[in-house]
Amino acid sequence: MSQLEIKDLHVSIDEKAIVNGLTLTVRSGEVHAIMGPNGTGKSTLAKAVAGHPSYTITSGDVLLDGKSILAMQPDERARAGLFLAFQYPSEIPGVSIANFLRAAVQARMGEGEELDATAYYKRLYSKMDMLKMDRKFTSRAINDGFSGGEKKRCEILQMAMLEPKFALMDETDSGLDIDALRIVADGVNALRSTNLGVVMITHYQRLLGYIVPDFVHVMWNGRIVKSGDKSLALELEAKGYDWVKKELAHA
Amino acid sequence: MSAPALTSASLTGAFTPEAFAAHLKTVAHLPAWWLDRKQAAYDRFATAPMPKRTDESWRFATLTGLQLDGYARGGTVALPQLGHAPVGIAKAGRIVLANNRLVTHDAIAADFAARGVIFDTLQNALRRHGDLVKSHLLAQPAPQGSEKFAALHTAFLEDGAFLYVPRNVEIADPLAVFHYAHGAHSAVFPHTLVVAETGARVTLVDLFRSTDASRQFACGQNDLFASHGAEITYVAAQTWSRDTLSFQFNSTVARRDARVLSLNLHLGGRQARHESYSQLQAPGAHTEMLALTVARGRQEFDQRTLQIHQAPHTSSNLLYKNALLEQSKTIFSGLIVVDADAQKTDAYQSNRNLLLSDEAEANSLPGLEIQANDVRCTHGATSSPIDPEQEFYLQARGIRKAEADELLTFGFFEEVLSKLTNDQLHDALRELIRTQFKQ
Amino acid sequence: MPDITATDPATATADNPVQGIDQTAGNFSYKIDYEFDAGTGLSEQTIRYISAVKKEAPWILDFRLNALKQFQAKPLPTHWATKDLENIHFDKIRYYLAQGQKPKRTWDEVPDDIKKTFERLGIPEQERKFLAGVEAQFDSEAAYSNVKELVAKQGVIFLNSTEALREHPDLFRKWFGKVIPTGDNKFSALNSAVFSGGSFIYVPKGVKVTHPLQAYFRINAESFGQFERTLIIADEGAELTYMEGCTAPKFSTSTLHSAVVELVALKGAKIQYITVQNWANNVFNLVTKRGVAHEEAEIKWIDCNIGSRLTMKYPGVVLKGRKARGEVISIALANDGQHQDTGAKMIHAADETTSNIVAKSISVGQGRSTYRGVVHIPKHLKGCKNNTECDALLINTNSRTDTYPAITVRGNANPTQHEASVSKVSEEQIFYMQQRGLTEGQAMSLSVNGFVNDLASQFPMEYSVELKRLIDLEMEGSVG
Repeated sequence: MSQLEIKDLHVSIDEKAIVNGLTLTVRSGEVHAIMGPNGTGKSTLAKAVAGHPSYTITSGDVLLDGKSILAMQPDERARAGLFLAFQYPSEIPGVSIANFLRAAVQARMGEGEELDATAYYKRLYSKMDMLKMDRKFTSRAINDGFSGGEKKRCEILQMAMLEPKFALMDETDSGLDIDALRIVADGVNALRSTNLGVVMITHYQRLLGYIVPDFVHVMWNGRIVKSGDKSLALELEAKGYDWVKKELAHA
Repeated sequence: MSAPALTSASLTGAFTPEAFAAHLKTVAHLPAWWLDRKQAAYDRFATAPMPKRTDESWRFATLTGLQLDGYARGGTVALPQLGHAPVGIAKAGRIVLANNRLVTHDAIAADFAARGVIFDTLQNALRRHGDLVKSHLLAQPAPQGSEKFAALHTAFLEDGAFLYVPRNVEIADPLAVFHYAHGAHSAVFPHTLVVAETGARVTLVDLFRSTDASRQFACGQNDLFASHGAEITYVAAQTWSRDTLSFQFNSTVARRDARVLSLNLHLGGRQARHESYSQLQAPGAHTEMLALTVARGRQEFDQRTLQIHQAPHTSSNLLYKNALLEQSKTIFSGLIVVDADAQKTDAYQSNRNLLLSDEAEANSLPGLEIQANDVRCTHGATSSPIDPEQEFYLQARGIRKAEADELLTFGFFEEVLSKLTNDQLHDALRELIRTQFKQ
Repeated sequence: MPDITATDPATATADNPVQGIDQTAGNFSYKIDYEFDAGTGLSEQTIRYISAVKKEAPWILDFRLNALKQFQAKPLPTHWATKDLENIHFDKIRYYLAQGQKPKRTWDEVPDDIKKTFERLGIPEQERKFLAGVEAQFDSEAAYSNVKELVAKQGVIFLNSTEALREHPDLFRKWFGKVIPTGDNKFSALNSAVFSGGSFIYVPKGVKVTHPLQAYFRINAESFGQFERTLIIADEGAELTYMEGCTAPKFSTSTLHSAVVELVALKGAKIQYITVQNWANNVFNLVTKRGVAHEEAEIKWIDCNIGSRLTMKYPGVVLKGRKARGEVISIALANDGQHQDTGAKMIHAADETTSNIVAKSISVGQGRSTYRGVVHIPKHLKGCKNNTECDALLINTNSRTDTYPAITVRGNANPTQHEASVSKVSEEQIFYMQQRGLTEGQAMSLSVNGFVNDLASQFPMEYSVELKRLIDLEMEGSVG
């Protein structure tokens, strides 16, 4: 059982405050959805937790199993068990998915430990089958010339291969048609287990129909202003974000 | 203000008239026309001035590094002394030269020889196929500012490789020529001449190697001649010692519908200058001019290219990629020339520099001279660091920064390497690049 | 009546209704009895004559004499530039011709022939319409110089260099020759030896001059060399736009124009410098232009080169202060017998400096246009950026274009990119327009104007209209 704690986190970009005191605890096996309108700091939260160098954490802390990860490099955080599924995954021409994933898997092994190539490919192909991905995919360069759906599937494939403790999924549904969305959701659902905690960041309720969350949080102006169970998402969908705004004004 | 009178010693360095006379004795058995040309070349070399700071063709180059003193012809070497390591490619034939002399020769298969393919040392070719060699050996303009050093090459050229592929003969596996420099202060003058007749198809790999890390001098040339519809793939992997002063000149001629792909991998040398001169002489001719450089330490790589479109409907594509580490320096100076009336030319020239260190320096001089209007000519030059978003993406998957940068550098190079259709060759070059990173 | 030397009667305006603004519109000259004439050829005597006539302080004479030595010692830059430079006969040029050293403040006071010259070129009219100040130079000295009262009241100084050296010697000397040292190149040395005229502008702290200041340079005499010297200082937070125009009649002998222009933009200042050059095609136009941009300052050169036999001009910006910005927007049109060798230099010398170069050239007939550029980003700077784009349009079969950029980048924190392309006018496009009833020439003009439109739209309106009409004229007769 693992635990990811975000404590009173403040994040800024170029001296502009974006996340303003956000607190959230996620345990293994839980799926949390963070919803909110555009520009409210959802993506900033995900990137800051993953350690993107453009984001400055001005105060607060992020703890993984009780230990602060803020002093860690992005790759150290990843190896500690954090996975960020990017909203806009980078296109990296010339670097094949096979080479890249091998390097990522190898990086998680001890020094002198050698990757068992046969076992690796067996595992890779089974995950690809699950995500309905063609085997030829692995020789393509990472995200280079991929469609929106292919990029998101490629993210889920990496998540499946790297077996993180916690996955931060940033707008995984954006840019997907309904078929692609279903494939991606099936993939995530297949990965749901008592060993994995998920934070899903989304603008729309749509995705939550496929990946049913245990908790739903509404984010506004850089902090969580409302939390509840999955019914909160439906209420939001019905009443719109203005409803939250009005509620806040009354509070 | 008058410059102090230059003594001839400062113009010739170690390559004195006495040294030349000694060299002539070693090649006295070769045809007279060749010896006459060598003598003329030596005279040009000995009188030509060293490059000056104001020479446009030497802009940004470190001229103080061009001293010619202290070099000599190295001793005779036997194969075991070379520590010869295979490159991991299936070969149709192999020639190994060290210190300008033949060490070993794996002849091409008999059936190819029966069809007229010649794969032999330059000395043998000069004696046995004099007329054929005469019409192609150093017959084309090559240098881009290095006239002096090109003359030095001709003067001291002792032996090299000659490949002749007759009409419509196709050789699938590459032929390999190893050029070794062995021992401190050795001066080598590698030469490779490839002649592909109408419809012929061939791949040749030149490998330039030093057996140790000592100070050496290399001054080589490779000439490629592709007749009508011929296809030449030429790969050169330069891994001279880190203390070598290197010149390498290329001259390529592509006739009607010929295709020539050349890929130069530059890894070795203290200061390495490469000049490439590509002539597209008849409609349908196409050349791919590719280069990859990994520069590190205080290495300086100086690349000068010229692609001349002399006839309509020709195309050329140049892509030179440099990765710069530590205090290294690169210069790319390229020129596309489209002659008057060479309409429908399609020419591209691109220099991409990946700066991996705060102290590296990349110079780009991409040039165009266009005298026909119905053409498609573009060039581009970029110098940039690793894309931080790509680096973050890899790191976010748990890959360490150094390894992420190496992966991204290979990704950067892949655009060039992927133009090779021979997978073994592709992998062999990747492996060579990897060793440069591991140092 | 003044004695008009109409050098080309075929250009009579009746034949061509749009000739009011073309190159040949400047193709007339008046016989002037010059009161001051330094004679033909260049020697120490020439320099002493010029300096004496101008009643200069001794330091200026010393400056000139030193420059003459440097000019004589320097070789022509033919190791990279065209050999056509060897056709300049420095001993056959007249280096100083003037009617007097003090410009008039009203057009009424300007001598008739000179006044008529500028009226034909439309200068007084433009002044009334949209300018904050005008200086009109006729051969070596300004004939007219005036700045609107409102602008003068803000403390803006706008004089020609001859006057400024007398009236503001300390301010002038402080900046003079600092951006472009005498020995920068052979022609900057020549200018430093024999300079006369040109503008001196000082805009005080925080003053924003809303309307452009304009200078007009007119060559009237044959075998003459014009060497104006312009120095513009924008103090902290100041802003100004300066425009210059140039013409000369077409003579059978060659004429030399070799200016030096220095700009200083102090912290947060903005200078926009616009040139629309339209020299006759016997003029060697060899100009050195450079600005220094201090912290957060911005210098923008908008340079439009039409006409001349050979133009060599590479406006530069030294980005000296943090976050300084430099920009060169350049349009060149080379017709038969013309070589436009133009470009830009961007020297980054501080962190977070950015530069942008956009150059478009059009080669018509046997015309040749060349882009030459330098971008330099030295060691240990962070966050610098350069972007360069060069596009060449070739109109006729054997029109010529060259591109010679040189980019040096040190370190891994400064991205640069350079892109260049060469194209011709699309036949489909021309056919389409012809099908709608336009002549091939009109269609070609439209196409060429389309090619430069994104740059021309950055000019003040009056100039973009003039540019468009100049292009129309150049394109006439380019087809067939």
